Amino acid sequence: MRVALFTTCLAEALAPRALKATVLVLEHVGVTVEVPDAQTCCGQPLLSNGFPADAALLARRMVELFAPYDAVVTPSGSCCSVVREKYASLFPEDSADHHAAAALAAKTYELIEFLETKLMIDPATLRGKSCATTLTCHDACHLRSINRHGCTAPYLKAACCGDLRDLPDMAQCCGFGGMFSTQFPEVSTALGAEKLAHIASTGATTLVASDTGCAAHLAGLAHRERMTLRVISPAEALAESLGLLA
Amino acid sequence: MNELIAPALPFDMLPRAREAVRDVKLQQFVGNATHLKDTQRGGIFGRDFGNDYDDLRTVARDTKQYALDHLDELLERFIERAQASGARVHTATTAADACNIALEIARHHGAKSCVKSKSMVTEEIGLLPAFEAAGIATLETDLGEFILQIDGDAPSHIVTPMIHKDRVATAKSFVRELGARYTEDPTELTMIAREHMRGVYRQADLGVSGANFLLADEGAAVICTNEGNFDLSVGGPPVHLVFVGIEKLIRGACDLAPFLKLLARSGTAQPLTVYTSFVRGPRRSDEHGGPKELHYILVDAGRIGVLAGKKRDLLRCIRCGACLNACPVYRKVGGHSYGSMYAGPIGAVLTPELERAQGGHDAGLANYKDLPRASSLCGACYEACPVKIDIPKFLLHDRARLRARGLSPKSEGATLALWRMLSQRPVLFRMALRAVRFHARMLGKADGEQSWLTHAPGPAGAWTKSRDLGVATGESFREWFKEHKRSGGAP
Repeated sequence: MRVALFTTCLAEALAPRALKATVLVLEHVGVTVEVPDAQTCCGQPLLSNGFPADAALLARRMVELFAPYDAVVTPSGSCCSVVREKYASLFPEDSADHHAAAALAAKTYELIEFLETKLMIDPATLRGKSCATTLTCHDACHLRSINRHGCTAPYLKAACCGDLRDLPDMAQCCGFGGMFSTQFPEVSTALGAEKLAHIASTGATTLVASDTGCAAHLAGLAHRERMTLRVISPAEALAESLGLLA
Repeated sequence: MNELIAPALPFDMLPRAREAVRDVKLQQFVGNATHLKDTQRGGIFGRDFGNDYDDLRTVARDTKQYALDHLDELLERFIERAQASGARVHTATTAADACNIALEIARHHGAKSCVKSKSMVTEEIGLLPAFEAAGIATLETDLGEFILQIDGDAPSHIVTPMIHKDRVATAKSFVRELGARYTEDPTELTMIAREHMRGVYRQADLGVSGANFLLADEGAAVICTNEGNFDLSVGGPPVHLVFVGIEKLIRGACDLAPFLKLLARSGTAQPLTVYTSFVRGPRRSDEHGGPKELHYILVDAGRIGVLAGKKRDLLRCIRCGACLNACPVYRKVGGHSYGSMYAGPIGAVLTPELERAQGGHDAGLANYKDLPRASSLCGACYEACPVKIDIPKFLLHDRARLRARGLSPKSEGATLALWRMLSQRPVLFRMALRAVRFHARMLGKADGEQSWLTHAPGPAGAWTKSRDLGVATGESFREWFKEHKRSGGAP
């Protein structure tokens, strides 16, 4: 099985460690990862902000780039959902592009989903060294559209040896929402502050956020408010617990 | 009409949203109530239907869609059967038509007073201001609506109209407007309102209500309420006017069950509303109670235009309010921020669409250009919707239309055009990422592999107004991966 890493533009810019962790975790379970060189952005910012035709141009690039692979894996729940749930709808039904986009959608996975549903890896077998970290986990809202919302924490709980605590009101959006974060900054910030308060209430010092955007928003707010909070991706949580990343 | 739900157009949402976020009481009332209702909704569906919940929603979606696809046929059948039951049926193309029909009936009866049970469509058409102008005094008999009425306030939630107020405010209003003694006890407050209303019911000339469903086969209306005020409002007065949007039609009682199962659970986490009233014709000769005349005023007010457009799914809405309770943005900005009687996610798409359908080409979006943007696209509304309306999809559709018509900020458009250009040129894209890393290293405060920016330049400046930006400034992923491969996979 040829597996490609869908890096996402946001992770390349803001969270390269999440990408390293994804590669290392996949290699740990015996999967060789390739990184198609020419990948850039999946088009979500364009699609979400009124440029569906431009998003379709980028979707077509992605479809071509990932055509040679059997599976495409990404650490970002949000970008994954765009490929899965939106790509095909960018092209006329029954067009060749539509079918090609649907084919890419069918082989694209968010990392934890890939481990759990495609590779069917029992998380207990990923149990690593003991660590004293207290964590809590917030899932990206876009995992809803691929029926994976709320699935990250249970998998990590069964795999990681850290003390993973339930996040109250996890279902509520953190307020990121792409450009919404700057279009409605007061609302976005208020939602983020509410999320941080829930995180603080768990006593956790590390937040696992299943999307780079949510992670950047919450980490940025915490940093501004001088709240000590380390924000990592699910891939990093696994890689750290397995001793693959320091 | 109240400026809170019928503001001057074009409407600017941002100032209201900003103010709402700063309003500590609103944050508390709306936040607590919506969280509670949303949690209870999840609970009751889980308990009562388990894994069958999604199938039930699918049935409801398809049943309502069937009705919309056969609306002409169902309308004819409803009109014929309702008339056979002795009711009179009027059709109103516009909001003004609907008001005029009611005014004509009122004039005919020399009506001076009216008792009214809760109805969103009467808010939509501005019935009360029209009655007031004609000298007809109307009493809102739904407790929440009554409190809003005496306060000169407006509903901020489809199901819980006074979600933005509490009993302290109610207590003060009752002292001020009704001369009641001060009490914060909910039961006592209800008794005060009840005392005030009972006398009015008996003397009113008109009873006005909405309807939750119209049954075509039976020529009947179904009204779901919790307070008993509907039956009192229409049982006493000699004339009953039912205002109802034409999208409320379903085939008949044979199709009603899934909606009754879903409506109360989605709205208030009740298995069924306390009252489920069926209206089937006026008082018959052998009956002692009920109105002597029953009028249905079937309101179009843009609905046929919506039906013909790309957002016809919106007409499936059964006004349960579940999407409002689930929406993170509604929880923070409250209902009045949406500038419409239809607030929250459904309002954000329905308000401009109804306006478009009644006005000129795209009058709707041009007047409400913040509404499609007032969403983080989290999808909680779609998940909560009992008839599976894909609200995020329609928000995206509206954002594209705003852009195509030049109604979105130009600066955003320029940034996104640059982004598209870079994204099609991988070499330039990598260079841009390197430039970001370089600038972050120069301008930010180093913290391990990261650099923190508090005042980012360019488009990122909007981000750093309220939060810092952490950029990874060390080795890029691509550099690492190259080295990782070269060294044979050792980390």
